[in-house]
Amino acid sequence: MHELSIRNLSKSFAGSPALADVSLDLRGGEIHALMGENGAGKSTLIRILAGVETADALELEKDGRRLPLANAKNAYDAGFRFIHQELNIVPQLSAAENILLGLPYPSRFGIAVNWKELNTRARNALSRLGIDHIEPARQAARFNTGDQMLIKIASCLVDAEGMTADLYVFDEPTAALTGEESEKLFRVIAGLKESGAAVLYVSHRINEVMRLCDRVTVLRDGRNALTAPISRTGKEEIIIAMTGRSVEDMYPPRSRAIGAAVAYAASGVSTKEVSGLEFELRAGEILGVAGLANAGQSGVLRTVMGLSEPRQGRLECLSGAAPKSPSEAWKSGIAYIPRERRGEGLMLQMPVRDNAVLPHLDTLRRLAFLADRRGEQAMAHKTSEYVRLKAAGLSQPAYQLSGGNQQKVLFARALGKTPSILVLDEPTRGVDIGAKYDIYALVRELSEAGCAVVMTSTDLSETLGMCDRVLLMRDGAQQAIVDAAGLTPADLLRRIYAS
Amino acid sequence: MIRILKLYGTLIGFALIIVLFSVLLPGTFLTSGNLINISQQISMLAVVAFTMTIVMVMNDFDLSVGSMASLAGVTAAVLFSLGYPVYVGVAAALLVGLLGGVFNGVLVSLVGILPFVATLGTLTMFSGLAFLVSGGRTIFGRDIPSEFSGFARSGVPLDSVGLDGLKLPFLSLVALVVLAVVWFVLEQTTYGRRLYAIGGNKEAARLAGVRVKSLRLSAFALTGLGAAIAGLMYSSRVASANPTQGSGLMLDAIAAVFLGMTMSEEGEPRVQHTLVGVLILGVLDNGLTQLAVDSYIREIMVGAIVITAVAFSSITKQGR
Repeated sequence: MHELSIRNLSKSFAGSPALADVSLDLRGGEIHALMGENGAGKSTLIRILAGVETADALELEKDGRRLPLANAKNAYDAGFRFIHQELNIVPQLSAAENILLGLPYPSRFGIAVNWKELNTRARNALSRLGIDHIEPARQAARFNTGDQMLIKIASCLVDAEGMTADLYVFDEPTAALTGEESEKLFRVIAGLKESGAAVLYVSHRINEVMRLCDRVTVLRDGRNALTAPISRTGKEEIIIAMTGRSVEDMYPPRSRAIGAAVAYAASGVSTKEVSGLEFELRAGEILGVAGLANAGQSGVLRTVMGLSEPRQGRLECLSGAAPKSPSEAWKSGIAYIPRERRGEGLMLQMPVRDNAVLPHLDTLRRLAFLADRRGEQAMAHKTSEYVRLKAAGLSQPAYQLSGGNQQKVLFARALGKTPSILVLDEPTRGVDIGAKYDIYALVRELSEAGCAVVMTSTDLSETLGMCDRVLLMRDGAQQAIVDAAGLTPADLLRRIYAS
Repeated sequence: MIRILKLYGTLIGFALIIVLFSVLLPGTFLTSGNLINISQQISMLAVVAFTMTIVMVMNDFDLSVGSMASLAGVTAAVLFSLGYPVYVGVAAALLVGLLGGVFNGVLVSLVGILPFVATLGTLTMFSGLAFLVSGGRTIFGRDIPSEFSGFARSGVPLDSVGLDGLKLPFLSLVALVVLAVVWFVLEQTTYGRRLYAIGGNKEAARLAGVRVKSLRLSAFALTGLGAAIAGLMYSSRVASANPTQGSGLMLDAIAAVFLGMTMSEEGEPRVQHTLVGVLILGVLDNGLTQLAVDSYIREIMVGAIVITAVAFSSITKQGR
């Protein structure tokens, strides 16, 4: 059993401290959760452990011996392995090649790749994780995100001769996974723990942490706020340690009845992605879309946004004909927050302002084609204030913001013109708890004002906490619409499996 | 300090080049006559580079501008030799540029071919067309009307600003007008804001309601038009047209945009920065020619300077 002790860890950027005197003890055979809001210093800590960033002060001991940690090679030699939410997998190569990527491939006569041996080694690594459903010879691109993450973990297991990994650091691993994929991952992580490795598990998802982890350390503003065994710690205690305040209820209560006007309706609609869509979305209503992994949840939203054309059936929109493209959708008052914040949402190099006003340039322009810089500034100022964006200014490029604030930029974009329908694909994915609360309050406020909302979420308690009704999808087909009132997440999960 | 070097390194380099030439070429380099001469020498490259900036804002390329410039030049010249008036030849050449650009745009945005591949293909096509149209020969002499070639030789007298006997060449003036128009389009119109959004993230721009396909198509059309203008300017200046006259323009234009990109914080192209890139290339060419440096050596130096500037800016940008 290994013990890793981190003491007196400090790091500051341009004079402002990111980590101040942080300590952390990791033990073999234990899963240690690291929690904290965005900006609390979690990422900095991980980057220092990975040797990417150098600490100002750090005492690092493994089994009582001092360890150097100056670069990524030190970290690797110390047996530290990192699995990030953004996968650095090479989609063109096979699963087996991805698993053995860092090592010399086995070869015949030193020239030709010995594919059989390569696949066998990969299969061995996978079976050590208890994974038997991944075919090593298959191209990595053809696996879903969850399986790709398992491939990545397997690649940490195959090391050069005689080397073993002692510490696995998981950084928000389930942010991109569905419930089912996460379950597989949890089993693998539990297996790593059984094998005697130490696991550092970074996550915003408190329910996951309560289930999976043995101890928890909470950082707030770069300092230790709490370290305790999970078995003797309550959710509330962790939330208070993270936010410094008590969160009575994550989900703001609904106070007003849903309007009678139908904002959007689908009858018998089939597209390339989904089929059997039959629903009416009313003004002021929040409709959830739920299902297992890739059951077509996003496809429903993409249909509303005019991104996938109906092959049959009718789509109707209160504000006129149903839009046939995103450009038409925005014009008819439908605002969209896509699933992939970085890939589909933001122009990362561009300022907050340009990101926030992009769909509304037509309403801001002067003389039919002139950009109205002052109007853009005013709109971005108003909407970013409204969503409580924390940024150095409207000219700050989006990549410099935390995940929660990047998401708020997308909300600011959606609010440039008061939307009549809000389409949200995983609106709180990878967002810290404080920003989550802001987003819930914001969505609730908009729906109170008569905006119709359709949203997906892999977090079932979020779906039930926010939505009035839930549309269940299975294999791309609509199964049922259920009332959210009175359901527990377990009930909903049962309905999803049953449907 | 690093920040200043990062943003102004290229500008400082430009200043050093000017100082160097003024010292090495006293009395001939830093004269108003020579500077006006430089402005005319670079005017064709400038027009191509300015309009190239429009597509590069979207992270796209147009490799076909050089052969488009040749094609436009010979198109006008052939029409002149057939006895058509100047305005018909000029209008036809501009139309050819516009259509060629639209063709590039269709391939890239509607068919979905990578710009590098699509415009590499049209580069060859336009070049072949230029040979076909001209019959492979240079059109010159009496075939080129004097009104057309006279345009490049005249300009606005600068006596009123104290430069007696000097003229601001019309070619330089055309480049300035194109600069102003491109700057206005990219920086002051909603069209330009959207092109930058496409360059930032195509998919995100589409999902935010930007009509990516039609904008990309139109931007390529503008670049084609710019190449045709440059081709006409070149034919006017040398009072002739041949099917390979524009071939050097493409690489220099892309180099100028890249030099300019080193000057912006996030590495995006800006047409005012492209101007600096064009000036650096033009001044180098002029100064080294006056110093009687061999033209092969000149090419090596220009290449090295582009690489140095871009390498310098990527190193300083990694450091943040």
